[in-house]
Amino acid sequence: MFPTRLLRSSTVNASEIAHFSRLSSEWWNERGEFSFLHKMNPVRMQFIREKLLETAYDEQAEEAVDTKKARLLEGLDVLDIGCGGGLLSESLARLGARTTGIDASESNIAIAKHHASLDPRLGENLIYKHAAAESLLAQSKRYDVVCSMEVLEHVDNPAMFLKTCAELVKPSGHLFLSTISRTPLSYFLTIVMAEKILREVADGTHTYSKYIKPSELLDFFQTHRSTVEGDGTLTQSRAWITRLYSGEPTRKEAEVRGMIYNPLSSSWILAPRGAWGAAECNYLFWVRKPASEE
Amino acid sequence: MFLSGNGARLLSKSLQRTSPNRLLRYFSSAHEDFDVVIVGGGPAGLALACALGSKAEIQSALKIALVEAGDLFKVRDWSSPAGSFSNRVVSLTNASQTFLKDAGSWDHVELERTAPIEEMQVWDGISDARITFSASEMGASSDSHSGMARLTETLNLQRGLLRQLQSLPTVQILEKNKVQHITADETPGGWPSVHLDSGRTLKARLIVGADGPNSPVRSFANIASYGWSYDTQAVVCTMEHSPRGPFLGPNTTAYQRFLPTGPIAFLPISDTASSLVWSTRPALASAFKACEPSVLARMINAAFRLPDVSMNYLHNLILESHEAGRPITEEEISAEILWREQSHSIDYTSAYSSTTPEAFSENRIPPSDAEMLPPVVTSIQPGTVASFPLRYNHAESYIGEGQGSRTVLVGDAAHTIHPLAGQGLNLGLGDVECLSRCITEAILRGGDIGAYTSLLPFTRERYLENHKIMSACDKLHKIYSTTSGPIVQLRSVGLEVLNELDSIKAAIMMSAGSVSRNDHRPLSYNSEARTTMFDIAAKCVENLNTATRVAQAAGGGLTGLAVNVLQNMAKAAASYQNPSKP
Repeated sequence: MFPTRLLRSSTVNASEIAHFSRLSSEWWNERGEFSFLHKMNPVRMQFIREKLLETAYDEQAEEAVDTKKARLLEGLDVLDIGCGGGLLSESLARLGARTTGIDASESNIAIAKHHASLDPRLGENLIYKHAAAESLLAQSKRYDVVCSMEVLEHVDNPAMFLKTCAELVKPSGHLFLSTISRTPLSYFLTIVMAEKILREVADGTHTYSKYIKPSELLDFFQTHRSTVEGDGTLTQSRAWITRLYSGEPTRKEAEVRGMIYNPLSSSWILAPRGAWGAAECNYLFWVRKPASEE
Repeated sequence: MFLSGNGARLLSKSLQRTSPNRLLRYFSSAHEDFDVVIVGGGPAGLALACALGSKAEIQSALKIALVEAGDLFKVRDWSSPAGSFSNRVVSLTNASQTFLKDAGSWDHVELERTAPIEEMQVWDGISDARITFSASEMGASSDSHSGMARLTETLNLQRGLLRQLQSLPTVQILEKNKVQHITADETPGGWPSVHLDSGRTLKARLIVGADGPNSPVRSFANIASYGWSYDTQAVVCTMEHSPRGPFLGPNTTAYQRFLPTGPIAFLPISDTASSLVWSTRPALASAFKACEPSVLARMINAAFRLPDVSMNYLHNLILESHEAGRPITEEEISAEILWREQSHSIDYTSAYSSTTPEAFSENRIPPSDAEMLPPVVTSIQPGTVASFPLRYNHAESYIGEGQGSRTVLVGDAAHTIHPLAGQGLNLGLGDVECLSRCITEAILRGGDIGAYTSLLPFTRERYLENHKIMSACDKLHKIYSTTSGPIVQLRSVGLEVLNELDSIKAAIMMSAGSVSRNDHRPLSYNSEARTTMFDIAAKCVENLNTATRVAQAAGGGLTGLAVNVLQNMAKAAASYQNPSKP
C-alpha cells in the first residue's frame, strides 16, 4: 500500500515512494540516529511557546493572554528553514500555525511530506517546499515566525544565511535559531562523545569550525538593520539589538537559552535564563525584528 | 437516496442473510479517526477519559473514544439500598482522591456510601507483633481529606465517572463494542486500527490499553509481561456487625492480620458494615464459598482472634468436611470455636472471644482490648461472597514499539498486584494522572501524543514507582506466608521497632500515597531546571540519611540518642517533601 495522497497529487512513481518510506523510517525512527533531535523537539517548542506568550503579555492585557491555549500559533505564518524530516514543522502546524517547511534536500522534503500524510489531523496548514531560503526572498511573502533549528552549524556562509532569515521575518516578527557554540565543551560533547565514542550521532555530522558562539549572533544582530520601505523611499530600521548590558541583550530584543542534555534520564532540559555556563554547548536563540516604524 | 427507509432495511437484511462477511468488509473499509482510543471501561479507563475530557486547554485538540465490551448502562444506573454494599471495594488514597477532585470526578461519587480510614492496625498472625498507623498521629488529616484513605465501592466510583462523562462532549463512549482485533497500519508510522465487532473501525493516534490483566492491547503491542500467580485466592464479601458504640468511636479502623495462609483484612465502609478481603489457599476459598455464609462469618471472627494453631485446625476441619461433601454447619463450627477459645483460656468477656452471648455484649463497657480487634461479625450480606485469583504481573514496558507502536498501557493491563496493601487501583489512578499530564504537556508543545518520545516521560515516571510498591507488596506476602521461627522473630522485631519510630512510619505512609501528591509536578523536560537540581540535591541528602540509618543499624549502635537524631532528620526530610504542611 502506498499513500494515495502522494500518488494522486503528483507523478511520483511507486519505487520512489518505497525508497522515501525507507529513509523516512530513519528520520522518524525515534530510537535511531535522530533520537537526540526527537527528544530536543519538545524543548524547542517549549521555548517558542514561552517566548511568544511572554511577548503577548508585554503587548496585551493580562486577561487577553490564554497561556493554556493549545492552538497558540493559530493565524500566524510560520517558516521552518531546513525542516529536514519535518520534526519541528509538524509540531508548529499542530499548534495551529500556517506552516511552510523548506529544505535544500529534495529527499528530505519527500520524507517530510510522506510523514505528514500519515497524520490525518495535520490539515492544509502544513506545506513543504524543496527550496533554499534565498529563493524565498524573491516572493513578497514574509512570516510572523521564522525558525531554523540546528541548521546554522551546517551552512557555508552563516552571515549571508542569517541575513536571509532576518529578511524573511515580518516587522515585529520573531526569529528562532538553535545551534551549537564553539567551545572546548561542545567539541568534547558533540564530536568526541556523540560521534566518536557513543556513536549516537553519525560520524561527520558536525564540523567544529562551523559552530557559532552566542556572542557572535549577538554581535551580528547589533549591527544588523532591516530595510524599511516607506513611500518610495528606503530607510534603515534601528539595529535588531540596540545594546548589551554586561554581555546580555534586553529581554524584549533577544535571548540566549542553553539546552542541556541529561544522559541519566536521556532527556533535554531548557536551562533557566542566564544560567551560568548553560549555553556552552547547545543553545536556543531568539531575536525580534523591530517594528516597521522603529 | 432511491430506497425508502423500509427498502433500505430490507436490503440490509437480505445482505446480512446472504453474506455477512461482505457487509463486514464494506464497513471495515470505512474508518473513523480518533486521537485517543481507550480500550476498557473499568475505573482506570473511565478516569482517563474524564481527566482528558475535562481539561479545557486540550479539548479542542483531542477526539477521544472509549471502547467497552460490556453494557455500561448497568453501571450508570447502579443503585443499592442504603446499608447494603457491593463486595468490590477500593481504598482510595489521598493522592488518588486529589486527582479525582482535580478532574472534577469526585463530585459525582456518592460520598455517603464511602468511609474514611483513620487508623490501620496490622499484626502478625503468629507472634502478634503489631503496628498501628494513625492518620491523626501522622498529620495526614487536613481540611480537604479526612483519614489516610477512603473506602469506596468500585461501582460507586465507576458510576460517578460515567456520570461525569455524560457532560464531556469530547469523549465518545462506544459500549457493547468488543474489540475483535487491532491491526497496525501498512505504512510504517501510520495509525493502528481498532476493529470492533459492530463492524466499526477506529484509527487511533494513540491506543490506551486499560483493558485489564489479559490486555488485548498488550498482546497487540507485543509487550511481554513478567509475573506469576500466587497459590492464593482472595475471598471478598460485605460483613454486617453492630455499631462500635459510644466508647469506641466510629467504625473507621481497618484491621489486617497476616496469617500464614495469607492476610485477612477488615475494611470499614459504614457504621454497621465492613468489607472483607481474605487472601487464602484456593482449596480453602472454595470451601468457604460452599459453606453457609453464617459459617464464614464465624470463621472471619475466629481468624482475627484465635492463635494460628487453632486456625490451622479449623481450616483443616472445613477442608475435610468440604471434601467429604458435607459442608460444616454453623452449630458445629460455633461449638468448635467455643471449645478452642476455652482451651486457649480466652475469657468470654475479652475482645478475643467471638462467642460472647449477645445479651451480655450489649450496652456494656467494652473490654480494654476492644480497639485491638474489629467488631464481631454478625452476618454476611446475601450474595456478596465471591473470590478471585491473585496474580503478580508487570509488563516489561508501558509503551509499544515497532509494529505495536502508538500504544500505551495503564492500570491492570500494565501491572497486577497482590491486594494486601490495597494499592491496585491506586497505582492505576496514578498511571492515569501521569498519562493525562504527559499528554497535556505534549499537546501544548505541538507533539504527536502517540509518538514514543511524547510518552517517554510517562513510563519514566511510573515504571519504577509502580515496581517499588509492587515488589514491596510481593515481599510482604512472601515474608508473612512463612511460619519458620527465625523469620517470624525477625519480622516481628522489625514490625515492633517500626511501630516505635513515628517518622519512619510517616515515610512509609507517604510512599503508600496517603499524603496527597503535589498537583503539578514537572515532567522531565521542564524549564525549571533549578528546581530539578534542588530536588536532586535534596534527594541526595535524603539518601544520605537512609544510608546513615542503615549503617547505624548494621553497626548495632542504635542508641537512644541516635534514634532521636534519626527521627528528627527523617522528620525534616518529610516536612521538606511536603512543604504545604506546616
